[in-house]
Amino acid sequence: MAAPPGLPPPEKLLEKADEYLAELEKGPWPSHVSELKKTGYPVRVYGVGLVARKSPWGPSAVKAKRLTGVLARIARDWVPGGGEEVHFRVFHTPGRFLPTDYLRKIIQISREYGVGLIEAVGQTGAMVINVKSKDLGDKMIDTLREIGTDVGGSGDAIRELNACVGPALCEFALYDTLNWLVAFRKDKRVHDATAVPGYPYKFKIKLSGCPMDCARANRGDIGFIGVWKGAPEVDQELLRKKIENGEVDPEKLVANCPSGAISWDPAKKELKIDGARCKKSMHCIRAAFPAIKPGKEKRVAVVVGGGSKGRYGPKLGWFIGFLKPDEVDKAIDVTFKVIKPWDEEAQAKYRLGDYILMEGLYRFIEKAGISLEDTPKYVEKLPDNVPYRVLPEEERKKFAEFAEKVKQLVRV
Amino acid sequence: MSIELKYPTEVERFLPEIIKRNYGKWKERKFHGSGIIEHISETGERVFTIKVALPPNARVSADTLEKFADIADKYGVGALRITVAGNVEFITDSLEKAQKIKEEVEKMGFPVGGWRGAMWGINTCTAFLTCQIGVVDAPSIGKALGDALKPYFTGEIPLPAKLRIFISGCPSGCAGGTATDIAIVGMWGAPPKIREEVLPLCMPPPKALAKIPESQIFLVQVCPTGALTLRRQDGQIKLVLVGEKCINCGRCKDNCDAFDYDPKDVGVAILVGGRMSNSGGGPRLARNLIPWLPANPPRYEEIVAVVKQVVEVWRQNAKPGERLADFIDRIGWAKFLDLVGVPRPIAEYMWMPDIARTYLTYRARGEYIFKGFRDAI
Repeated sequence: MAAPPGLPPPEKLLEKADEYLAELEKGPWPSHVSELKKTGYPVRVYGVGLVARKSPWGPSAVKAKRLTGVLARIARDWVPGGGEEVHFRVFHTPGRFLPTDYLRKIIQISREYGVGLIEAVGQTGAMVINVKSKDLGDKMIDTLREIGTDVGGSGDAIRELNACVGPALCEFALYDTLNWLVAFRKDKRVHDATAVPGYPYKFKIKLSGCPMDCARANRGDIGFIGVWKGAPEVDQELLRKKIENGEVDPEKLVANCPSGAISWDPAKKELKIDGARCKKSMHCIRAAFPAIKPGKEKRVAVVVGGGSKGRYGPKLGWFIGFLKPDEVDKAIDVTFKVIKPWDEEAQAKYRLGDYILMEGLYRFIEKAGISLEDTPKYVEKLPDNVPYRVLPEEERKKFAEFAEKVKQLVRV
Repeated sequence: MSIELKYPTEVERFLPEIIKRNYGKWKERKFHGSGIIEHISETGERVFTIKVALPPNARVSADTLEKFADIADKYGVGALRITVAGNVEFITDSLEKAQKIKEEVEKMGFPVGGWRGAMWGINTCTAFLTCQIGVVDAPSIGKALGDALKPYFTGEIPLPAKLRIFISGCPSGCAGGTATDIAIVGMWGAPPKIREEVLPLCMPPPKALAKIPESQIFLVQVCPTGALTLRRQDGQIKLVLVGEKCINCGRCKDNCDAFDYDPKDVGVAILVGGRMSNSGGGPRLARNLIPWLPANPPRYEEIVAVVKQVVEVWRQNAKPGERLADFIDRIGWAKFLDLVGVPRPIAEYMWMPDIARTYLTYRARGEYIFKGFRDAI
């Protein structure tokens, strides 16, 4: 980017940059500038960017062993003093648990080869470590591999996988997200697609244990969300005890249910939940756990096509079917079934969701060959329905057959 | 050179002992003030988690992280956890130790809080720290907002329900899309300018350009509205930007460095009422409340004021447990705009399908959207 017009001379610019940076160190919220100043990061370049109201960084390249996960920037020519910024996306541990011995190793690596700055969690879900200079990249990768992690996940590849904490620290998890994550990582196809960029655009895989969706699975290109079928399980005995203790208000449970599926019988002191109407909002479960638990028939909902980038802007995922909590192999197969038509047909820089918008969800399901439990057959939510269209003959035939069937039923 | 990756795949190795023993056996949770949560297991063991806010963009120095590690060793179970929203969680096994950890980190200047009815943290993208396409600087907006909204995080001022704020430096929305309660998104404000001297790097060589059909040129393909086209004049082929068609999505800038903007046009859009979780009416994308606000570093008074106003309107009028999205649904969009005091609602998108609405509302420059494109959807 060109220098913004009306930029003050270099000395003035740096002075003003220092002023802005000092301003950002004040206040009760933890300051990123104070943290940056403790490290070798070129913080004045950032300050100059703030003054100029333009990003001070331009694209650069770095020679390293890795095809993905390595990114470099160089300061634009209007930034006095210049500077460079090289950073690596490092895979996080399952559930993002960092034992202190492991964390200290990361800190040591960051000090030895890097500027001592760590982005604890980047927006892709990976940990981002800044490197001191371009030549130290390979050495750092080797050291990272020694402690059992690696660099990867940028460009048009499968990005760092994201799973919620799951059964490790949450009572609501409906399937084992961490072991699913590990199973995905161990799969050769996922591994290859993360190492080598080759898709039309990035591809994100996300795993959430329950409908509260902490891993933001609805926003991934493919997301797996733990749900159950039917009504939540109610332990009437325990619930009565909770109500007596004043922990749960049955009236509130009924009022807060967004689908109106709950009814309370004050005479019998019994709570009834209509499974057919339950929207799986987790309201009652969160209020009265463990007296109300998710239903026994656990499933993993598969959603595809979410994301915030792409040709058609931000989108949420489409539901394409259920898996069982132990079918992780099938989940990996589904992932690659979903990828196949998109990889073959989509234009460059089309996210999966954009491709589905172009194709239509049903044609996409057909093309990908997906047949899971409850794969949708009807359109639930249509963008403005256009009533006229040229139909191919076989489709017209289908509707004619349907009319014949109805004719026999209704007997006109 | 091999491309073998080494994933950290051993779940067992990274879990603290106490978590390993109770994996999948949790049955209850309790809250001890804001920021401390207790999980009770079937085995009778208890784990306390303390949630601590990190600086914007979760940027921490090795020194700070080392101090965290020391605290985790001294009072905790020797492990930390990083959350997706850029907070750090300490894990320990008794309430006293949890209080100690709270004291220690607060002494270091990191607030503790962010559970139940509170602000759960501010997520920002990297913007000017790293990114070469960022339009406004998200971390400094995050810092300014954090200073103003800290009481909502620590629980001094309770909120009706969870509040998440995402700040993205540009319409790419790297901080987490728009499916969040309040999303602040950097906007170009005006169509980009093409820097002719850089453009040849992103285009096929002139001889090839003459032979390839227009639809096959990458930059033309990338533009969703057809604002970028090729003009052929006197044997010269030129990439032309039709300003009226541009919706400021920044996709050209994402893919080629030749597109530039003027800092004086730059601002942010504020979107409200998105949500990821299925509580209530299901996940949904946020709606555009204000299409353009100036972004004035380093304190961003305008943005902070508007966000605070929205939070206050919601806090004072919502029922307990009602998220911003549910609140807006209950009282209606028009009433909500009245309460916030937005001068004129942006109504032209109301009848549009969900996807198109978010796409257009947050990417378009005010009301000057390319009409043909809008009508086509």
